[in-house]
Amino acid sequence: MSDSPIRSAPDEEWDDLMRQLRDQPNARLQPFFYTRVHARLAASAASKSPLLPGWLRRPAYAVLLGALVMTLSGDGATLRPAAEATHCETCPNGQALQR
Amino acid sequence: MTNFAAAEADLVTQLQAGSEAAFRTLVERYQDRIYRTVLALLRSPEEAEDVAQEVFVEVHQTISRFRGDAALSTWLYRLATSRALKNRQKARAKKRFAYFTSLLGFDNAVLHEVPDHAHPLALLEGKQQLRLLLDRVARLPDQQQVAFTLRHEQELSYGEIAAVLNVTVPAVESLLFRARQTLRKHLQSRSCHV
Repeated sequence: MSDSPIRSAPDEEWDDLMRQLRDQPNARLQPFFYTRVHARLAASAASKSPLLPGWLRRPAYAVLLGALVMTLSGDGATLRPAAEATHCETCPNGQALQR
Repeated sequence: MTNFAAAEADLVTQLQAGSEAAFRTLVERYQDRIYRTVLALLRSPEEAEDVAQEVFVEVHQTISRFRGDAALSTWLYRLATSRALKNRQKARAKKRFAYFTSLLGFDNAVLHEVPDHAHPLALLEGKQQLRLLLDRVARLPDQQQVAFTLRHEQELSYGEIAAVLNVTVPAVESLLFRARQTLRKHLQSRSCHV
């Protein structure tokens, strides 16, 4: 492709640019990279071992779960009054109310 | 099996056995290559260091699943490039979010501003044409950018790039051909305008 014997000026410019790219001084990491990786590993291990799953440690999810539990564990009190209102609690034998 | 391949297989065995010394050897052997690859894709030294750390943490956590189907270096390059691209997608999403929130009138542009770093090496050298090239490389489609970076900055062979990208050698040739074509077109049109 670009290795043809007759080379145009743009080809040479391109090759020169590629050479510049290759010959850039190598970027180097800050010293003690391994120590930082090791610290990160330790932090990651510590964060993986809590008692509660990750999603439950988010307040919004915890509140939502709490609300859901409250709703589902209710004794149906919100539905009952309508049914109970048809009976007289003071009357003996729970007679039906006269309307 | 060559000496290098045997040494690498031995290193993997030790890593899978949980050797701390082997992990240190791995990090020290590959840290610069991984960092440079990620830096070439992200162009931010801080982000590149962060992603390079993530790569080695992932290696430590998943080495037990490494079956040796590819070379260890190939696996590392694969982790590094995919993490770098993911990181960049997140940064772009943040940028878009910042743009939309600024349209809605929320004054949090500073909060979401993603720094657009020029390549530090290009700045150091002050080579305008090289800087232009690097800017254009950053705008290539992901696979073309990875192929171009691995070929021209890391000097990997076509076969090695194919292994990293999990594609065939002709596919790498095609990616590189398209990348070069796009870059040359942009650089030429730019120099015509100057």
